[in-house]
Order: sequence, then C-alpha cells, then structure tokens
Amino acid sequence: MPQSVARIMEFKQYFNIFMVQVKNNWVREAVYRTNFITSFIVDLIWIVIEASLFSVIYAHTDNLGGWTIHQVYFFLGIFFASDALFSIFFMRNFWMFSDLINKGELDIMLTKPVGALFLALTRWMSLTNVLNLAMGIGVCIHYADAAGFKGGWHWVELTAWLGVGLLTQSLVRFAFVIWTFWTERGWALSRLYYQFFSIATKPDVIYPAIVRYTLMTFLPFAFVASVPARALILGLEMKEYAGIATVLLGFLLFNRWAWKSGLKRYQSASS
Amino acid sequence: MSHTDLPRHWRSAAIINGFKDTFAYKSEFVLEFFASAIVPAAIQLLLWYALFKNGNKPDIAGQSYADLIAYTWVSILFSQVRGGNYDFDLAEMIRNGTLSQYLLRPVGAVEFVYFRGLSYKLLIASMCLCIGIIASAFTSITIVRMFGAMFLAFLGNIIAYQLGAALAATAFKWEEAYSVLMVKNLVVQFLSGELVPLYFFPENYSWIWKIFPFHLYVYGPTQYALGKMSHEEFFMNCTQGIGWVLFCWFLVHFTWSRGIKNYASIGG
Repeated sequence: MPQSVARIMEFKQYFNIFMVQVKNNWVREAVYRTNFITSFIVDLIWIVIEASLFSVIYAHTDNLGGWTIHQVYFFLGIFFASDALFSIFFMRNFWMFSDLINKGELDIMLTKPVGALFLALTRWMSLTNVLNLAMGIGVCIHYADAAGFKGGWHWVELTAWLGVGLLTQSLVRFAFVIWTFWTERGWALSRLYYQFFSIATKPDVIYPAIVRYTLMTFLPFAFVASVPARALILGLEMKEYAGIATVLLGFLLFNRWAWKSGLKRYQSASS
Repeated sequence: MSHTDLPRHWRSAAIINGFKDTFAYKSEFVLEFFASAIVPAAIQLLLWYALFKNGNKPDIAGQSYADLIAYTWVSILFSQVRGGNYDFDLAEMIRNGTLSQYLLRPVGAVEFVYFRGLSYKLLIASMCLCIGIIASAFTSITIVRMFGAMFLAFLGNIIAYQLGAALAATAFKWEEAYSVLMVKNLVVQFLSGELVPLYFFPENYSWIWKIFPFHLYVYGPTQYALGKMSHEEFFMNCTQGIGWVLFCWFLVHFTWSRGIKNYASIGG
C-alpha cells in the first residue's frame, strides 16, 4: 500500500475515534441538562465581570494603550470565544492529566493501537460550551463596527484566529501539565498556568515591551486574543506572522520531546 | 480523654493535621503562594503602568501612581487571607456522599472543613503579618494598623467561608454547586477590591460594593493598613463584619438543616 494511502487510512481511523468520543461525550452531557445551563451562566457572569472591570477603568480614561473601550470589548469577545473552544475540546483532559499518571490510567491507553496522547487529549469534552462560544462570537459581532473591524470576508479570518488561539492554549497548557511526570502532583502547575493565562484577559498593548515580548514568545498568551484582535482591527506585519509560526512550532517540538521523556520515566501506578 | 473534651480537642487536632499537610507539600505551598499572589499583583501593576505612564495621567480617581502601587502591594497581603476553596470541598462531599461519614461523627461537617483548612490560612496570615510589620519600618504603615487590618481580613475570611458553605448547600437540592460557587468567586474577586480598588467605581455605582460584605475581605483591610481609613470607619467595618458573621451563621444553620433533610446519602 502506498504511503499516502496509508496516511489517509490512519487519518480516517483517528477521525472515526474522535467522532466516537464526541458521541460519547454528547450522551454523557445530555444526562446532565442543568449543567448545560449553569456552565453557560458562569461564563456569562465572567464576561459581565470582565466587561465591568474595563467599564470601571474606562470611566477614568478614554483609551488604554491606544485602545478604545469598543476595541477592548471586541478583544474580549475573541478571548471568550477562543477560551470556550478550548473548554469544548481540551480543558477537562488537561485537568485529568495528573490522574493518568498518578493513578496509572495511562496504562490502558498505552496498550491501544492508536496514539496514547491522542486518546488522553480527546477523552473528555465539554460540548455544552458551544453556547459560550456563540456568546463570545456574539460579543465580537456586536462591537465589530465600533471597534473598526472591516467585516465582510474578514470574518473568515476570525475563524482562523480562533484556531490559532485553540492551538496556542493546547500547546502551552500541555507544556505546563507535562511536568506531572516528574512532580507527580499537577494541581499547582495547573493553577500557575491559569494565573499566567489571566494575563491574556487584558490586551497586550497595555503591557511594557519586555512583558509583550514574553507574551509573544515564552508564554505566548497574546496569540489567544490580543494578536488576533490586533490583526483583525489593524492588521499584522509579515514578520509577526512568521514569529507566531516559529513560536508555535517551538512549543510543538518541545512538547513532543517532553512527552517521550515523560513516558520513559512513567512508572505504572496501577500495577 | 473524656467525651466532653472532644469538641475542644478535635479543633486543635484538625489544625495540627492541617499544618502537617501544608509542610508535607512545601513546593506546592510555595507555587500556590506565587501563583495566587505575585502574578495577579504583577498584572495589576502593569495596568497602572499603562494608565499612568502610557496614558500620561497625573492621577486617577484622586489617586497617584504611587498610591495605586502601594494599594496593589498591600492588598496582596490580605487577598491571601480571604477565602480558600473549602466551600467546594463541602459541595463535593454532598455530591459524592462522603458527607455521610460526618453525620455519624460528633463534629459538624461545616465547622470541621473550616478548621481543617484554617492552618494553611493561619500560616499565610502570619507570613503576611510579618511582611507587613517589616514593611512598616520603611513605609507609613503602622504595626497597630497592620494588626487591625489583619483582624478585619480574618473576619472577612470567616464570612467568605460561611457564605460559601451556605451556597454549597444548594448541592443538596441540585447535586452540583460548582457553578454557583464559581459565580460567587467571580463576583467576590471583583467586589472585594482584589482586581481594582473600589474607589475606582463611579460614585453613583458605589452602592453595588457597599451592600455586600466582600469589601471587608481585601479593600477594607488594605485601606486601613495604608492609613486611608480612619479608626472610626475601621470600627464601623468591624461591627459590620461581626454582624455579617452572625447573619451568615444563621444562614448556614438554616440552609444546612434544611438541606440535610433532602440528603439522599448516595455513595460515601
């Protein structure tokens, strides 16, 4: 069989498994209908709090790092949509990651004929967050004109940027959680991640140069919403696109190496 | 030990066990402190930088750049004392049925969970108090005000836990209280003065934070420690805090006694 056909077959196999995981998660979540509403309400309150915070700040100034309040709201819309997308597919899997190692749940995944990492990261989904994704996009649409977003076919760009946000969060979160192979307890690392992640709730233009550099390289949280909002409102230079690609590739390679090293250290806790 | 000694002894035993737990995971303790204190403070400081330096503002809400930096540093000391996620533990106990074990014991679950987590908070409060006392040598903070502010912060800690426990009781009805507690935490974070000082609120909206006790957690202690609250206002705040403790005590008693009647004790 030619290698390209084998690749397609393998992709199809992974896609089928992914769809089974989606179906399983949908059935599970359908049982807990209240959860559907409550998770939506929590995110709604979160949006209101973040928006109120900026309203309080903008009561004393008319621009923050050159951004108007409508541009900040547009940025918040992207941030919430991107975060919701991450919550749908990956968030819970990363929270459960330390259990895989500490309780030996990884054992069973290592015996399967598909990648253990693929199984570990697609096991849990929070499909109820689709509502939150819609809410984030709704905020973007509402403030798009006032923020100076051109609209039209540029909405397609928004979709692509949400993909970049999802990829960034997954790679960075993985880079934090992978240390569980060595530290055994992942709770503090997860908390540390979310504290750093809270930097992403503010547009990067408000930060000094050194912090912005960090947010574009070692902790690239600016790719979640700040850079997408800037790209959609003002546009980016070619070197900035190249920078984003390089950083994400760097994280990908690091995570690949760390996963392999972690597996070598893994001592099946269940046995 | 006689049976009558039990109520006194279990509290001290729970605190001692909590200390042992905290010291057993030293790296976790340091990481937790770093995550919950330094990072939010850094974000706030950068926000002030953006407002004052990039925005060329001489003052905001009548406060200078130095005032806001001082607020941020001092508020860290008190934001560490408030809360904790022990209300989530209570909700989880109701959900997974482990509460049943406590119903057989001669100690109340709500009180036990508080005392179990108290040692961590006492350790943090002592550290923060020491830092404040050291800072008093170089700043306008006085030792008396620092002690007073920490007392107010601890009152806030009790209220925070009581309100959380009362809300956790919704798990008796809905099995799940996670979302309710998350919403509470988001509101508290904003209205306690942890994200921005509450004097940032426009005057006609200040009633929003004044009607809740959350300002006693961080904003009140910080203002008192910084000398921006008179002794009279401090005593008013303390009285208000004690009133809230009493009200919340009744609230916890009411919600839990009603909730226990609905408790199905599944699992555990």
